[in-house]
Amino acid sequence: MFKKILIANRGEIAVRIIRACRELGVSTVAVYSDADRRSLHVALADEAYHIGGSAPGESYLKKENIIDAALKSGAEAIHPGFGFLSENEAFAEMCEKAGIVFIGPSPEAIRLMGDKITARKIAFDAKVPLVPGSEGAVSDVEASVVANGIGYPLMIKASAGGGGKGMRLVRSKDDFESALRMARSEARSAFGDDSVYVERFVEQPRHIEIQLIADSYGNTLHLFERECSIQRRHQKVIEEAPSGFISAKTRKKMGEVAIKIAKAVKYSGAGTIEFIMDQKQNFYFLEMNTRVQVEHPVTEMITGFDIVKWMIRIAAGEKLPFKQGDIEMNGHAVECRVYAENPATNFMPSPGTIEYLSTPSGPGIRDDSAIYNGCEITSFYDPMLSKLIVWADTREAAIDKMASALREYIVLGVKTNIGFLRRVMADEEFRKCKIDTGYIERHPELINPEARDMKPALIAAAIAMENSTGSGPQSQTAAASNWKLFARRSGVTRSPLA
Amino acid sequence: MTYTFKLNEQIYKITLEENEGQIEVEIDGEKLPVDYRKIEDNLYSIILGGQSLTIGVFKKGKKIQVFFDGDLYDLESISEREQKKSSLAASGVQEIKAPMPSRVVKVLKSEGDEVSRDEGVVVIEAMKMESELKSPIAGKVRNVMAKEGDAIEAGTVLMVVVSDTPPASE
Repeated sequence: MFKKILIANRGEIAVRIIRACRELGVSTVAVYSDADRRSLHVALADEAYHIGGSAPGESYLKKENIIDAALKSGAEAIHPGFGFLSENEAFAEMCEKAGIVFIGPSPEAIRLMGDKITARKIAFDAKVPLVPGSEGAVSDVEASVVANGIGYPLMIKASAGGGGKGMRLVRSKDDFESALRMARSEARSAFGDDSVYVERFVEQPRHIEIQLIADSYGNTLHLFERECSIQRRHQKVIEEAPSGFISAKTRKKMGEVAIKIAKAVKYSGAGTIEFIMDQKQNFYFLEMNTRVQVEHPVTEMITGFDIVKWMIRIAAGEKLPFKQGDIEMNGHAVECRVYAENPATNFMPSPGTIEYLSTPSGPGIRDDSAIYNGCEITSFYDPMLSKLIVWADTREAAIDKMASALREYIVLGVKTNIGFLRRVMADEEFRKCKIDTGYIERHPELINPEARDMKPALIAAAIAMENSTGSGPQSQTAAASNWKLFARRSGVTRSPLA
Repeated sequence: MTYTFKLNEQIYKITLEENEGQIEVEIDGEKLPVDYRKIEDNLYSIILGGQSLTIGVFKKGKKIQVFFDGDLYDLESISEREQKKSSLAASGVQEIKAPMPSRVVKVLKSEGDEVSRDEGVVVIEAMKMESELKSPIAGKVRNVMAKEGDAIEAGTVLMVVVSDTPPASE
């Protein structure tokens, strides 16, 4: 095992990794930007090194500065967390050259899976299902042949595309020709390139992914799936494990397919294969994330498997002592990402200072967080404040537990999505698992609920005014205790609670 | 004491008074007995008609944030004099301000353009995300200060919109 590890990240994931290291008896090195001097990961680590300015490009993305800090501190390995340099092949190579272990897969595996076209080819060769479509750009004649082959509904997409331009949804054969013409002309005017490709349209897609863990001796296991269909701006907000939708047969098939992809690139460490799935449980390869995932805790909760610790052990050369058959899942876990954002203004980030914080606790409740009273949420980084995770024996019970836990979550100073999350937990469709990636857009009432009775809020504001002006009625100030009076008289102590 | 608050562009009046050892609130002409304790800074336990409520309140000057039932509300405490002034401003001239340090991605309206209520006028980017700022009122764009690519501080006025309906004379 390593003696010392540098964590090249910040926020809750840095805290998560520091805790895993401590439990393994490994000492920890934090790195921080100007804006993060007061951040929790700095306080919790054994050593801390300043690596530059607040903007990620001046610090957490500065490869040389991080390698320097590792060398200076004598860290033998670097855990990149997620985001920042976690899927950066050049950084993994630099670590190797500097004689530092990069806790993750090989630079080669990162490169292969990081390039969408290469990744798609690897999946294709491994006979992993892909969204049926034309391989690359097509002529008008080819397009209609491919279209007949894959069937309707289908999508025509601009090869140079993005932002929905040059994209056409075609529901029947009769509309194909005119849609193709329009997509081409739109693509030409938007990108100066009218090449298009054709793909099956997956209606009401679900996002389901398989967690993998592989050691360096060819043992590759899957830890079942996570469903992450509740998304806004193509970003996950609520995740759960297992999926409440798929059959045991589909689960087994997805796991096997995911392992095939990992083996094709000699993958080691933790990784995730993402799929989209239609409402008939047909699934298609989307991409592979070659790092620990934000939502890894839900898998940990149902398997009892500590993913972050095993990433470290595997990087240190340990062998997985389990076989696929040893991994069992038990119960159901749900994760809610608590963001500093305002759902009412299209989930706009809401930076500021945390003026008050109270977090839930109780059996089966886990709050992976890096915030505290008085901490600053800056606009330099992702606005995720924490991940609230719960476990219970069934999906229904887990949702009830999450709803209850969210009632105890109080944040002042920045706007959060807590109210929104509470409304999702109470929503009939969510509870019945009728979800897909369009769920949030379909439910504006969860964002802007009907007018509610604002009396309690107004009364609380009046009470706070009354208290701050000191004109509060006598009966409302707690009677001074004899202990306090004694302390005041003797003038020697000051109660921290006074 | 009577307090006046603005919440969601509406004005509310609340009176708190002690009556024979009981605290009473009067709101919207309704009188309710209330029992409250400060639990710690910014947190109150309020018992209202038998209902136990835990409400977070953070006060900074005239601005008051209330965290109630999962959502954060922005209230403003206003005096009688300010009340008249602010109701004029609310319906007359509206400044579109940057809510946070950010960068201007796109200016969607030019001077003289008509805008409808809740129409997007400026796109800004912060924390890796683009957001559209909307006009809170219908009217005409009087000034455009924002330029695409500008780095802006929180509170920077990006655009001024003038209402096309005459301000209500309250």
